[in-house]
Amino acid sequence: MDKALYLAMSGGVQTMNAQTIHANNLANVSTTGFRSDFEQARSMQVYGDYHPSRVYAMTENPATRYTQGDMIQTGRDMDVAVAGEGFITVYDERGQEAYTRAGDLQINAAGQLVTGRGLPVAGVDGPIFLPPLDSINITSDGSISIVPQGGAGNEVAVLNQIKLVNPDTENLRKEEDGLIHSRDGQAFELDPNVKLVSGFVEGSNVNAVEEMTHIMNLSRRFEMNVKMMDTIRENANSSARILQRTS
Amino acid sequence: MNSALWVSKTGLSGMDKQLNVVANNLANVSTTAFKKDRAVFEDLMYKTVRAPGGLSAQNAELPSGLQLGTGVKVGATQKDFSNGDYNMTDRQLDVAIQGKGFLQVLMPDGTIGYTRDGSLQLNSEGQIATSGGLVVEPGIQIDPNAIEIMIAEDGIVSVRMSGEADAQEVGAINIAGFINPTGLSASGQNIFTETNASGPPLVGVPGTDSLGTLAQGMLEASNVNSIEELVNMITTQRAYEMNSKVISAADGMMSFAIQQL
Repeated sequence: MDKALYLAMSGGVQTMNAQTIHANNLANVSTTGFRSDFEQARSMQVYGDYHPSRVYAMTENPATRYTQGDMIQTGRDMDVAVAGEGFITVYDERGQEAYTRAGDLQINAAGQLVTGRGLPVAGVDGPIFLPPLDSINITSDGSISIVPQGGAGNEVAVLNQIKLVNPDTENLRKEEDGLIHSRDGQAFELDPNVKLVSGFVEGSNVNAVEEMTHIMNLSRRFEMNVKMMDTIRENANSSARILQRTS
Repeated sequence: MNSALWVSKTGLSGMDKQLNVVANNLANVSTTAFKKDRAVFEDLMYKTVRAPGGLSAQNAELPSGLQLGTGVKVGATQKDFSNGDYNMTDRQLDVAIQGKGFLQVLMPDGTIGYTRDGSLQLNSEGQIATSGGLVVEPGIQIDPNAIEIMIAEDGIVSVRMSGEADAQEVGAINIAGFINPTGLSASGQNIFTETNASGPPLVGVPGTDSLGTLAQGMLEASNVNSIEELVNMITTQRAYEMNSKVISAADGMMSFAIQQL
């Protein structure tokens, strides 16, 4: 049988992979700070001793979209959103710096400032621990000021500053934990120009209509690949018939 | 099978849980001192099919890999402990906490529960209890001949007896605060219980350590914002529909393949 069947099959399989990427984007249409993933197909030519006529498709996700998501007003003083470009620095499970746009912060039992997922937020001077407090205020540069428990309204203590970075997106990569990491493993420097807005969380930047359109497009592309497989089978059947001995 | 099916399934079940949270918030829009919940979504782990930087030929490197996301989950529900509106009721045994504290009540199993629902009552033995019948800690006995009960801002409870001019002190209500109230476990009936995440309670006299003061004749309303919940409901419903659309697209692909081949 002609190898074209395998080419069509690889097209179908790769289309299903691309479909998964868009399905994941749509599933995360309500995830705070989620950044949508792109998908593209690359042609992979097979070289050998013969004419290189076989070109397989290969799906990859070359990048993540870093545009701003919707700003959702919550009024909670520990919800912060990055306005414009930039990231909030957190520590991942291995204790290394990673970056996120999800700013639904909270305080855990140990008094540490963590994200909604429970990842510790990185400050300029290391992890951020807060004493028992009456009120907390996170300013636009990430500085945290609190009124300690039992303190008067004017006893404001400035504690630490959330490490905000604004690296070149070329140097960023989304890893398996869903967090953004630097490509070369080097931590980024604090950028004083990144602005936080308190009382807001940033929604997902998934464009639902665009994702739906991609999914429809991919469904049709899959059907075309299946149609190709069908045609190739017909060809094989026809040639088998010609070669059949008539008795 | 097509993994988009499973990814969209996580989307559907996440939206389903979100709708549950929204429905519960809306159902409790009139519950005294109810604190609204928020579903915290997080993306699931990514599956690396091909790592970036792999070799495509002997001396050609792939610039980007293929990582497939596996969907979404509701990682937690977060209680928002911001204060609700205060309503005047003028009832003697209604108290609202103006601040962050909680009233302490004795649970049936002997542990202490915490509530902000201050619609207090007297039980058959004359003790101050919540509307759910749980006795307020420390226990305060009210004489059946008392004609007036006064609860001061700092929690001192005093009563005036029939035929007497001066009030006499009969006890004090303490309130408790937590470093991380979000970590409290909600056990229904407006009661919260302590967990490792909430930290131990800091018990004190109302008005000290900014636990908040008591206001007699007032009740705290639910802090649910019904407009916000309705908007949440719309976005949840549409997100649900879109995820189910992906399932039908993936299903269509598979059925087309089955029919054609």
